[in-house]
Amino acid sequence: MSSKCRGRGMAASWYGIARTATIDRAGAWAEIDDGGTAKIVTGVTEIGEGILTVLAQIAAEELGVRPEDVTIGDNDTARSPEAAHAGATRQTYMIGNSVALACRDARVRLDSEIADHWGVDAGSLKAFNGEIWAEKTNLKMTMEEAVDICKKRGVVPVGSGSFTAHGTGLDPEDGSGSPWQAYVYGCQVAEVEVDTVTGEVQVLGIWAAHDVGRAINPRGVEGQIEGGVVQGLGQALMEDYKLEDGHTTTHGFAKYILPTSLDVPQINSILIEDPDPLSPLGAKGIGEPSLVPTAPAIMNAIYDAIGVRITSLPATPEKILAGLVAKRERQGTRRHAAE
Amino acid sequence: MPTLDMEVTVNGRDVKRRATTQMRLLDFLRNELNLTGTKEGCGAGECGTCSVFVDGKLVKSCLMPAAKANGAEIETVEGLAKRGELTYLQRAFHKTGASQCGYCIPGMVMAATGALRENPHAGFDEIKERLGGNICRCTGYSKIFEAVELARDAMNGSLPTTALEGPGAGDSFIGNNVRRLDAPSKVTGALKYAGDMVMPGMLHMQVLRSPVAYALIKSIDISEAEAMPGVECVITADDVPGEDGFGVFVHDQPIMARGRVRYVGEAVAAVAAEDVETAMAALGKIKVEYENLPAVFDPEVAMAPGAPVLHDYAPGNIVKHIPIRKGDVEEGFAEADLVVEEDYGTQAVEHAYLEPEAGLAYVDPDGVVTVVSPSQNITHHRHMLAKIIDQPINKVRFIMSPVGGGFGGKEDMIYQGMLALAAMKSGQPVRLVFTREESIVSTAKRHPARITYKMGLKNDGRITAVEFRMVADGGAYGLSTEGVMRKAAILSCGPYDIANVKIDTYGVYTNNTPSGAFRTFGAMQAQFATESHLDICAGKLGLDPFEIRRINMMRSGALTHTKQKLGSVSLGLALDAAEKASNWESGPADVRGSSRSDLGKAGNREPCTLGSRIRASDGAGGKKDVA
Repeated sequence: MSSKCRGRGMAASWYGIARTATIDRAGAWAEIDDGGTAKIVTGVTEIGEGILTVLAQIAAEELGVRPEDVTIGDNDTARSPEAAHAGATRQTYMIGNSVALACRDARVRLDSEIADHWGVDAGSLKAFNGEIWAEKTNLKMTMEEAVDICKKRGVVPVGSGSFTAHGTGLDPEDGSGSPWQAYVYGCQVAEVEVDTVTGEVQVLGIWAAHDVGRAINPRGVEGQIEGGVVQGLGQALMEDYKLEDGHTTTHGFAKYILPTSLDVPQINSILIEDPDPLSPLGAKGIGEPSLVPTAPAIMNAIYDAIGVRITSLPATPEKILAGLVAKRERQGTRRHAAE
Repeated sequence: MPTLDMEVTVNGRDVKRRATTQMRLLDFLRNELNLTGTKEGCGAGECGTCSVFVDGKLVKSCLMPAAKANGAEIETVEGLAKRGELTYLQRAFHKTGASQCGYCIPGMVMAATGALRENPHAGFDEIKERLGGNICRCTGYSKIFEAVELARDAMNGSLPTTALEGPGAGDSFIGNNVRRLDAPSKVTGALKYAGDMVMPGMLHMQVLRSPVAYALIKSIDISEAEAMPGVECVITADDVPGEDGFGVFVHDQPIMARGRVRYVGEAVAAVAAEDVETAMAALGKIKVEYENLPAVFDPEVAMAPGAPVLHDYAPGNIVKHIPIRKGDVEEGFAEADLVVEEDYGTQAVEHAYLEPEAGLAYVDPDGVVTVVSPSQNITHHRHMLAKIIDQPINKVRFIMSPVGGGFGGKEDMIYQGMLALAAMKSGQPVRLVFTREESIVSTAKRHPARITYKMGLKNDGRITAVEFRMVADGGAYGLSTEGVMRKAAILSCGPYDIANVKIDTYGVYTNNTPSGAFRTFGAMQAQFATESHLDICAGKLGLDPFEIRRINMMRSGALTHTKQKLGSVSLGLALDAAEKASNWESGPADVRGSSRSDLGKAGNREPCTLGSRIRASDGAGGKKDVA
């Protein structure tokens, strides 16, 4: 009999978007700039999740310019409006929506001048990818020209935005309250192979379905899911910060084991878009939620493969082997009792 | 210090420099040649962020003495392409979104370049193995693999080079895979992280850390250290002019230990000196007298009467208890056909972002105290530092440098206060760069948790009641523990409609490394228990795992455990999508791995067998070593 046993498990999850059980807020400034470019200012920078690109996409879409024309600055408490923290799966939701509102504000200024210049209704103006036009007319110009005209009329097309998420605190006695205005849900399936001789577990496939509200950059969302899944896999199978009387015994990467390229399964992401009705963009978030179901899906798959239930993470080879021994003993006892 | 004259070729140019004999090749490149695209991630050859080519061979420059590279031809990430251009591989990384925080990426690009130089036709498994010495904490490696395969095919001509270009505008920039704007600066190593930044007259900080878990500080004598040539200032808690305390919720942690140390690795004093070596030597001259106190390392013990008290304001060592009550659990259990109890445990986890903490502080000409660091919350850090240094809020400025991975670990103001104090005291810019070991011992971890779970169900799978109790080790300081307990409690029992719940989460002080914010903020620990428990129950009831979740899932308009009425609930969509995409074969959750027919199909990767897939490149013959 082969020592390699395969199995499958799944787990579902939910998560709240932005700060918990409190009101959350973020601000942004926008300017449609010379040459049909744009400046967006908000007090945050990239922690790797892709927020700068997402903000550039949102600004481009709202302003009618191209993402590469957007300059994002300035992650600085003395030079930019409050954005607060880069965490809590709040970047796209909080900063993204405040940037969208700031851009809409700037567009009102620009559109009012251009509409007057053309003698059309401001509501008929559309802009995309560096051009602005009046619907049902042949009036069209580049954003570069539009900014130039606007400025010659004495107006700098600037705008600001503030976005609020209305969470409420929890009752101190029974915990009742509305901690978030937006929730996301997810589900992951894991397929594993367990080596019953060595106790090693390999995860071969993950299918990860997550609601993100609206995917601003689908590839970026996949990147967040893949990263979250692999961190979840690390916690499921190998990572373990250990202390002995307060002194760590895992003080470097030789002792603290992390997933490498050799440990990662194929990750199959499925994006679900159930738009948030309470925000301009409809987008929610994915940074943290992607990690939640991975470890239980893997534990459930291990059980499916070998009948060993790991209730204490990580599922090291030692624990797997001990679980197999205990299972054999249980079966032995049962057989014995049956005789 | 002994020196030697180095003559090397770096990125095609001849370079002559004097180096010290203790200098690593990494230091020589970064400090002498300002080639900061080569990053330090661990200093121990484990992570690969410092990978360069020496005479064509991929090496980890943190392990190679500079002297050993004398006379060699060195190639760094800055030399792969002409300025302003990108190699095929760099373009492919840009295209696929293979860089996230970007800190590991120069090393990853070097390793991938090495892989394709070694074997331009390397298959997927070979690529995977050749990248095995490089750690990435953000991407899950998937987009990196995709990039290397894309570059290989474009270089071999089996794909047109247009495959490396970005998508067009289409109808909208929303829902568009616009290439990351920050990627070119990351794949070329051009982006400066805090530890890459320098200022004229900049001092270097080193930190003296507690060697004991819990002790009174009887005395600190800094006189000898202060008198050392090259030392500009030594700071301790005595240098804090304002209200000393930081934390995400409760401000219980002083910038440096004040009267007591509460965990191994806690900052006690710091030195700013003209170079790192002098600062380090000065640490050895600081005399600290400790009087050990009885310590507590187990949260359950810390909660019990008579346990040592860590913070005077919290006599029971409870940082935060969050209760949630809905319905009547006793009635719910009485109604149940099946009651299942189990205990769960999760471990402490290190964030392991590849960029260790680093920062640079200075006082600007207008007297504004400025801190540049990869902080995940400059807004809150500004508020806290203003109080700590007793300045109006507009005299404190935080600049968020590119964050080389955060995951919540950089939300804590664990070192920025020391930098600000030293800049104020010395009047000069001061930089601090943590070593990996320092980062691991002194910064927050994911809360280890013990969970007691009791669930009652009807025979049809409907959950009648859940009792959930979680005790989490908060370690020595509060940091984010309060918020983590809150989120864990709110989300604990999962997206399931349960009439009767009794939930309690406790964050507890101990003398362990503090726990703090970590991607999911307590939700992972809690839902690990719920999702494991549901499968155990499904097994006992003969239900399919999807089925038991569908029976109980919250639907649009449901009341959550905190009695919030939900709008649209997409859980059903997520269950359907995952079940369909994985071609899940339905059946009871009862060890059916050996009999199910949905295994080993599309969507999986082949199991890894180490070393077996490195093939000799065509015509070369024989086995090649992985550098």
